[in-house]
Order: sequence, then C-alpha cells, then structure tokens
Amino acid sequence: MDAIINWYNDLMSHEIWFYLIHTLLKLVLMFAVILAFVVLSVWIERRVAGWIQDRPGPNRAGIPLFLLQRFGSKEKQPLKNWLHFFGIPETSWIARLCTWLRLDREFPCWGLIQPCLDGGKLFLKQETTPSYVRKFYFILAPMLVLGPPMVAAAVIPFASEVNTCYGHISMCVANLDIGPLWIFAISGLSVYGLTLAGWSSNSKFPFLGGLRATAQLISYEVAMGLSVIPLLMMFGTLNLQQIVQFQADNGWTLLPLWGEGLSWQRWAMMLPLGISFIVFVTCVFAEANRTPFDMAECETDLVAGYHAEYSSMKFASFFMGEYAAMVIGSAVVVTLFLGGWSIGFGADAALAAYSEWLAVLCQLCMFIVKLLAFIVFFVWVRWTLPRFRWDQVMKLGWLYFLEIAVANIFLTAAVLYFVK
Amino acid sequence: MFETSLCQILFYLLAVVAILCAAGVVGFRSPINSAMSMALCFAMVAIIFFGMGAQFLGIVQCIVYAGAILVLFLFVVMMLDIHGEEHSRGSYIHAAVGMLIAGFVAGLLIKAALDLPGAKDNTCPAITLCESAGELLIGEARQVKEAPAAAPQYGGCLPELSAAAAARLENPAISEADAAKATSIPDVKLLGQCLYTRYNIPFVILSFALLAGTVGAVALARKIRKD
Repeated sequence: MDAIINWYNDLMSHEIWFYLIHTLLKLVLMFAVILAFVVLSVWIERRVAGWIQDRPGPNRAGIPLFLLQRFGSKEKQPLKNWLHFFGIPETSWIARLCTWLRLDREFPCWGLIQPCLDGGKLFLKQETTPSYVRKFYFILAPMLVLGPPMVAAAVIPFASEVNTCYGHISMCVANLDIGPLWIFAISGLSVYGLTLAGWSSNSKFPFLGGLRATAQLISYEVAMGLSVIPLLMMFGTLNLQQIVQFQADNGWTLLPLWGEGLSWQRWAMMLPLGISFIVFVTCVFAEANRTPFDMAECETDLVAGYHAEYSSMKFASFFMGEYAAMVIGSAVVVTLFLGGWSIGFGADAALAAYSEWLAVLCQLCMFIVKLLAFIVFFVWVRWTLPRFRWDQVMKLGWLYFLEIAVANIFLTAAVLYFVK
Repeated sequence: MFETSLCQILFYLLAVVAILCAAGVVGFRSPINSAMSMALCFAMVAIIFFGMGAQFLGIVQCIVYAGAILVLFLFVVMMLDIHGEEHSRGSYIHAAVGMLIAGFVAGLLIKAALDLPGAKDNTCPAITLCESAGELLIGEARQVKEAPAAAPQYGGCLPELSAAAAARLENPAISEADAAKATSIPDVKLLGQCLYTRYNIPFVILSFALLAGTVGAVALARKIRKD
C-alpha cells in the first residue's frame, strides 16, 4: 500500500507526468460531457418540440421492467408481485404513486432511453454507399463534420482553478491565450465536411446543399468574428479562463450586478454589448445550421441537402456534428456573455475561500445548468421561427450583420474612450 | 530536455508532412485533391506556428487561409469540369515558365532569410533584429539556443516586458516552470504593437491594396443591367 502511495507521489510530483495526467483526465471528462450532451440535446429537442406543438414527445421509452419476468416472475407486471410481497393493497397511495411513475411497466426515464435506442438503431441499419460517389471524400466528410466541434471545446473553461499539493490545475483542457479565435478557427473547419459531402455525393441536390452550407457558414463567420470584438475590447484579453474570472469578480457581461459591475461606466457598455450579443447569438444559430438558417438541408427546395446520399451511422454523424456544434455554440455564448462557470454575486470567491474543490464542483454544476438552459433556448427558437428564404439569409449576413458588427466596434471604442 | 527534443521531433515531422502536401498540390491530377492537400499544408504550418509558441499566427493561418480562402477555392474548383481537368496535360512551356517564377520567388525568400541579422550564427533572426534595433527581446534564451535554426521563436518588441526578458537572459539557469511560462508569449499584443507602430504605414498601404482588390472584384462580377 505504501509502495503504491509513494509511487503515486513520485509520479504526480514529476511535472510532466502531472501535466499529462490531469490534462488527460480533463480531456476525457470534456469529451464525455459533450457526447452526453449531444445525446441529451436530441432528447431535449424532441421534448421541447412536443411541448410547443402540444403533444407528448418521446416520454415513454424507459428501461422495460417486464424483462424481469424472464427471471422467475410469472406475473406480466412485476409491480403487482412487489406489492403482494410487501403486503401492500393495490389501491393504496403507494401503489397509485408507483403506477403514476410508470413503475408498473418500466423504469421511468422520461423517455431518456429514446436517443440511445435511436443511436442503436442507426448503428444497426444497413449501410448503403451509392456506386457513383467519390469514395474517399464521401467517407472523409462525416468525420470532418463531427471532429471540429469536439476539438473546439478544448479551450472552454468549465470551472475555475485549483491549487493541489502537486501543482496548479486550470479547469479547461487547453488554457490558450487565443480562446475565442481557437473556437472560430476550428469550428470553421467543419465547412470542409459539408462541402465535401455535397460534392462527393455526385448528385445535384446534395451538391446544392453543400454549396449553400459553405456560403452560409463563411458569410456568418465574418459577422461572428467581428461581433465579439467589443467584448474583447472590454476584457482586454483573449484568454477565456481570465474572461470568466473577470465576470465572476465583476458581474457577468449581460448581468453586471456585483463588484465593479455596479458602476455606471459598466452599464454604459451595455448598449454595445447587447448589440454584440444579439449578432453573436444569431450567427451561432447560422453556424450550427439550425432552423431559421437550415438552408443547407431545406427539404422543400433540396431533397435533404448535403446528406441525401448518406445512410446509417454516416448520416447520424452529420446530425451528431450539428448537435455538437449547437452544444459548443451554447457553451461559447454562456462563457462570453453569461458568466461561464461563475455562480455569481461574489459566491465564487467565498466558496473558493472555503474549499477550492467544492467551488470547482459547484461551478461545474452551474456551467452545466447554464448550458442546458441555453440549449433549451436554442430548441425553443427552432420550433418558433420559420425558415428564412435563401436570399434573406445572405442579405441578413452581409448587409445587416456585418455593418452592425463593424459599427458596434466603433461605438464600443467611443464608449470606452469617453466613459472610462 | 524532454520538451525540446519532443518539439524538435514534432517540428521535423510536421515540416516533412507540410512539404509532402505542398508537393501534392502540384502533383495531384484532380484539382480537388490539390486543394485539399493545400488545406492540409496550411494546417501543418499552423501547427508548426503553435509549436513555436506563436499561437496567434497559427490560429490566424487557420481562420484566414484554411477556414476561408481555401474553402472558396474548393467552392470554385468543385464547379469546374473535374474530368476534363483530370485528363488534360499541361505543356512543357508552362512548366518551364512556372519553374522560373517559382525559382525566382524562392531565391528572393532565401536571400531575405539569409540577410536577416543573426541568421548565419544560428541565433534567432527575429530576436536579433530586435536587439540590433536597440530594443530588448522577448522570449527565452535557452530555448532560442536549442531551437532548430529554421524554427525561430517569435520575437517582437514589447517595452513593458523587456525587463523580465532581460533578467531571464542574464540568468540562463531557469526553472521548468519559468520555461513553461515563457512559451506563452502574449503574441497578440506583440504583433499588434509591431504592426500598428513600427509597420503602421506599410500596413495601411497593404489594407488599401486589399480594399482596391475587393472593389475591383465586385465591379467585375456585378452584372450591369441596361433597363
């Protein structure tokens, strides 16, 4: 036992091993959380869609308890067996509560099993590759769609920093000094996937879908990059961890209610920041190819868009890529505008003074709650707004958002110059 | 020790891949393959920038070249007649003229690189450039000495940080933690300060050239309706 502890101590006090181990742990955590969120956001999407359209949505699929009858129980409903075993009458409130919780049929998961079953179905489906496609790029394209959002997540901080006895750990996979740029650059690379998918399918509708996707993503990337500049002018840094730390100390970007955020100078910044929030969030919608902007897969003009020729898991990976882009987009918005991991109202510093690990845990939960809230907002917008027409999308991107974003930079500069 | 050797191995590996990709751009028959290998080449160069600690340059390479310009290339190339392109053969005259131009540009680049102060005695050109201009350097002395000659640490000039850098220069025995800190140079600030102070006028002239190009492209592409 002592030998193991000694070995562990030696390993962790070696700087490089310590770095490798904690980075690897964070990497696995981040990857697992994002993949889980991809699955979860599919479920959220369908449930919210159900609520909005006044239907239940996938609320039933649970872990089926009737499988238990294989293991000795003759009764169709294992619940009755349980009730008999404990001598509880079937009309009692306990029995009714169990029935209400659907325990008589399955373990209640509120339909959470549904996306897993969908995934399983897609894995087991027959994979058909049409004979006329350009094979290499046809196979490469789904990878290029799914990969970049995962890599882009590396710079997003999910909690603050911790000082352990072996060294300092910053709770994001890569604490780069170019955080937002990294996200724009890497998630911008998923354009290749969409374009190549459209082209390599070697048929007209996918090709049109691919071209639309490329044009749309490139157009909105410009406005998106310009719209965060006011923020960076205010923070004076490109390091996301520092940006969130600033927000934890001085009020979230859009909710400056404590610390320095109570000064009127900060509130004077709200106008440019509000404008850049609206532009940025709209651009994130466009980048994620989500419904007011899902021109590339618009069923009415193009059969299915760039993935018309894909089947089985290749088809699914386009959708996973789309949902991953949505999750990452939400995470970026939360990080830049809504305080990232910060709990707010000065609670971070108080918690960190009490226990750093507790603070980190609470901050992680806070980040996930904010992320979930923003994903619900994403879905809400999708089922509320109708799809734009293609020329409207281009006009909005180039004629309005680009101009607004550029004017906003000058406005911010003016506010910063005259107010501070 | 571990870090430097790993960095060198990675540098040579990436450089070889980048050169292979660059050869692929010329060698591939299909224009799509050429465009994609160009994208890969840009990505490799971006990673090399990252390895040198010039994160901003790397990411800008990714955003501007790989993320925007090359996608437009791909966009145009896809609309060409690929099969016609694949079966056509270029003439030898074209190849000869191309080689002449490429050789000329390569010669210019090599000349410029060799003319940089400090290029011959194996020190980092950019840093020596700053020193010769009477300014103190940013960066880490030990790393500069051990880095391959072809991979200069990005050196700019930032007056506020020069004192710390000078202290590091005088004291070559630096702990690992300090070395780790030195790899994250605030290169956005350095680059911004260099561009907007010393190279302000060329920068403005270049942006006007780009603007003129954009206006020209729009004027050429716009259909003039006569009704």
